[in-house]
Amino acid sequence: MSRPEEPIDRFAAAQSESRRSAVRLGSKAGHEKRTEVLFRDYADPDSLRRLAGEIKQHTLDHLDLYLERAEARREANGAQVHFAADAEEACRTVLGILQSCGARRMVKTKSMATEEIELGAFLERHGIESLETDLGEFIVQLDADKPSHIVKPIMHKDRREVARTFEGHGLGAYDDTPEVITRRAREHLRRKYLEADAGITGANFVSAESGRLVLVTNEGNSRFCLAATRCHIAVVGIEKLVPRDRDLALFLNLLGRSATGQALSVYTEFIAGPRGAAQPDGPEEMHVIFLDAGRSEILAGDARQILRCIRCGACLNVCPVYRQASGHAYRGVYSGPVGAVLTPLLAGERFPEFADLPRASSLCGACNEVCPVDIPIPDLLLRLRDRGKRAGVKPAGASPSMKTFARLASRPAAWRRALRAGRLLGFIPGPLRPRALRVWESNHVLPPWRGGAFRAWMAERKRKQP
Amino acid sequence: MKAPRVQLMATCLADAFFDDVARATVEVLEHLGCEVSFPEDQTCCSQPAFNSGDWPAARSVARHCLRVFNDAAPVVVPSGSCARMVSHGALLLFEGEGETDRAGAAELAQRTWELGDFLVRGLGVARWPGRLGMRLAFHRSCHSRGTAYAEGALTLLRSIEGVEVVEIGEGEQCCGFGGTFSVAFPHISRGMGTLKIEQVLATAADALVSGDSSCLMHVAGLADRTGRPLRTLHLAQVLRDALRAASEASA
Amino acid sequence: MARRSVPRLDGGTETEATLSETRRLIFERLKAALGGLADKKPLPDYPADVAVSLGARVPGDPVARFCQSLEAVRGRAFTDPAALGAWLKEQGATRGYCDPALVSWLTTALGDGLTLESTLGRERIDDYQFGITRARGAVAETGSLILDDATTSRRLGALAPWIHIAVVSPERILPDVGSAIAALGDDPNVIFCTGPSKTADVEGILIEGVHGPGEQVALIHLFGAT
Repeated sequence: MSRPEEPIDRFAAAQSESRRSAVRLGSKAGHEKRTEVLFRDYADPDSLRRLAGEIKQHTLDHLDLYLERAEARREANGAQVHFAADAEEACRTVLGILQSCGARRMVKTKSMATEEIELGAFLERHGIESLETDLGEFIVQLDADKPSHIVKPIMHKDRREVARTFEGHGLGAYDDTPEVITRRAREHLRRKYLEADAGITGANFVSAESGRLVLVTNEGNSRFCLAATRCHIAVVGIEKLVPRDRDLALFLNLLGRSATGQALSVYTEFIAGPRGAAQPDGPEEMHVIFLDAGRSEILAGDARQILRCIRCGACLNVCPVYRQASGHAYRGVYSGPVGAVLTPLLAGERFPEFADLPRASSLCGACNEVCPVDIPIPDLLLRLRDRGKRAGVKPAGASPSMKTFARLASRPAAWRRALRAGRLLGFIPGPLRPRALRVWESNHVLPPWRGGAFRAWMAERKRKQP
Repeated sequence: MKAPRVQLMATCLADAFFDDVARATVEVLEHLGCEVSFPEDQTCCSQPAFNSGDWPAARSVARHCLRVFNDAAPVVVPSGSCARMVSHGALLLFEGEGETDRAGAAELAQRTWELGDFLVRGLGVARWPGRLGMRLAFHRSCHSRGTAYAEGALTLLRSIEGVEVVEIGEGEQCCGFGGTFSVAFPHISRGMGTLKIEQVLATAADALVSGDSSCLMHVAGLADRTGRPLRTLHLAQVLRDALRAASEASA
Repeated sequence: MARRSVPRLDGGTETEATLSETRRLIFERLKAALGGLADKKPLPDYPADVAVSLGARVPGDPVARFCQSLEAVRGRAFTDPAALGAWLKEQGATRGYCDPALVSWLTTALGDGLTLESTLGRERIDDYQFGITRARGAVAETGSLILDDATTSRRLGALAPWIHIAVVSPERILPDVGSAIAALGDDPNVIFCTGPSKTADVEGILIEGVHGPGEQVALIHLFGAT
């Protein structure tokens, strides 16, 4: 073919069968668990999703007020609040805090926001040892790889790959038993927690009413980061706010079930400030960095509903395109349906580089059906396609030009002529057929052309009727 | 509801390939006493251009569609995806446009019906007459999400004497057509279609049924290309065939 | 408290004034984005129990429900300290950390053969096979223990050892997540612990005992209200 293919399709085609299989089965299991548990525990889960969506949309529509409220509460609780307009400022702010409290080593939890700003690499360049503690992220860091799913970072790897990585990094002789792998990580990391000076986290939610950050994990790594170190820095996207503490009950119940089929994750931490006065363990100081990095711009646009996202990963799990392509195909921190919307938007001026992502969808709508905050993802993908076209981005795939189609479809006489002329398609040799048709025929047998047949039948029928 | 006069939106796919689906739709509607008119200037609902992101092109086609169906009679279309384009997509398409376009699109949206939905919720049909001894695998086309289309089709199919309807495993998974998606992302589309074919074969059904010719064209075409042909039937064809069997029996 | 100074890449530092510039900029952007919005969603009103799961809506004894839920997430519940003591010995866990306020009671109540230390040394963290601390409450719906900084004598004591035993008073068991959140209060660090720590990162296979405890135990006893 003369023109290159769509990048995500090419990536999918080049992927190994074993990787595709791992991604598909992992996603399917996640989706089935989510559905089973939601419908076991609630009479009408869809009404809860819509309610949660309205609460989040309301918060976004009034984000300036809620952010101000959260800031005031946090300062009253003894935490320091910072703002970062972009990734670079966020990284510098973190570095400044670490330097001013004399930290040389930090441990961090899984946080999409810190991955967006590439915090770990920045800190390493400035002499701060930065260690991922979530097991999947720890393995990704050892491998200098990238996560392929926002909740299950190494869904694309099998145990043999992990065992080889551990062996290569001096974490014991080759053993691919998942239990052994986990124990080794546990032993290695607890030493690291106790040697670290600072703990860096994200936040799943921030209550504007109490100012509490909510951190949700299964492994206990965030608890350890905070129990063992003396300085806590939380990097939080401004869209993470919810209005009140009572709203957290709804969001936490939906998040656990949507992400992993659990009612609640093992550890749900509600953090208002540094450690209590009588508590010997825990951070003496706490900093919250509210991160913009493109969010206010998205808020101003016509795809702002994407900011409702609570990072559960349910849309990834159900998406048939994600299952074929896998997370790495999306070339960003966020993959799957949410990534197809968020990555081009967060890219700001570099939107055209990612304009192919929203096209990689059959618009099936399964994502919206499972989204705990009811984000109308297909509509947002369509808006982004319109934006891409207006920005002059030319799709790489075999999609036919719509100009000819639109001309024919708005001129009835020309349309009817084309219907009759379509019979001639069969006489055009393969290589001369339009590219879209050749691509179609590489995967399908085209049905016989019947242009004009229905119209003739209908006209005849009308003639016979009174 | 007394059977009204309706306008048929045949769909561009039926116009080009699936005349039998359009014929079956007319016969089914006329059987219920509807007077069916076919505005000859119709072309397409504009979905291909809309989905491609060429919204200016889509608007010119959608405006033509508004003109063609500018008559108070309900519009019935044997396709969930076209029905959704008219009832939902067109509203997005004209969002920032003039009042006439927006009002016109909103007005057409509220009187456009997918076929099965029209029969069940529009005309109140609860049982379909006739007989058909077939095991049918029902495909829930993606555009039926958030609508009553699939329930309408299932109500009718399950009520036909002799018909056994089976659900397809992992039914929420898209077949992989998605219009121009199938030619822009052929590898992924083929992967999705292959999974769907496997699930359909696992039902050991006599035929795959859907309210959308687009999905059927993709699945059948891929099945043919890969040497495992599948029999497919549109909802309208099943309903028509059941009627024919009944009238032959009584003849 | 640390001073708010942020290093610039050119080697200088930024002052407080520049930092609040960012704050001003972000709020300006937000107001610009939201100012013209015609259809701002109101905050929906909804009943407090909207997210209570079906199982928790059936009336029942909170203690029994808590035990059932805890066991469903693979935790263990005890009401008798002697039975707990026997179980610890069965696990080969004979040395552990204990909240000083509970030591004299439990030294007797758990039975012989166990060593309870009332101080925790970070450098010897792996010596403690179990940690006993108080919980401020629990959640019957989910089997969660509610820990906080005021009632947990040492965060590390509840977290680092393989076995964590939370002593909770039966009348502090709340019915569901919503009511537990309503009771968060003022403590700076409240945690809902729902079963042992776990991961399914490797091939989706569930493994218990990652960074946190591999065994989550509740001792339901009035002494928990100490």
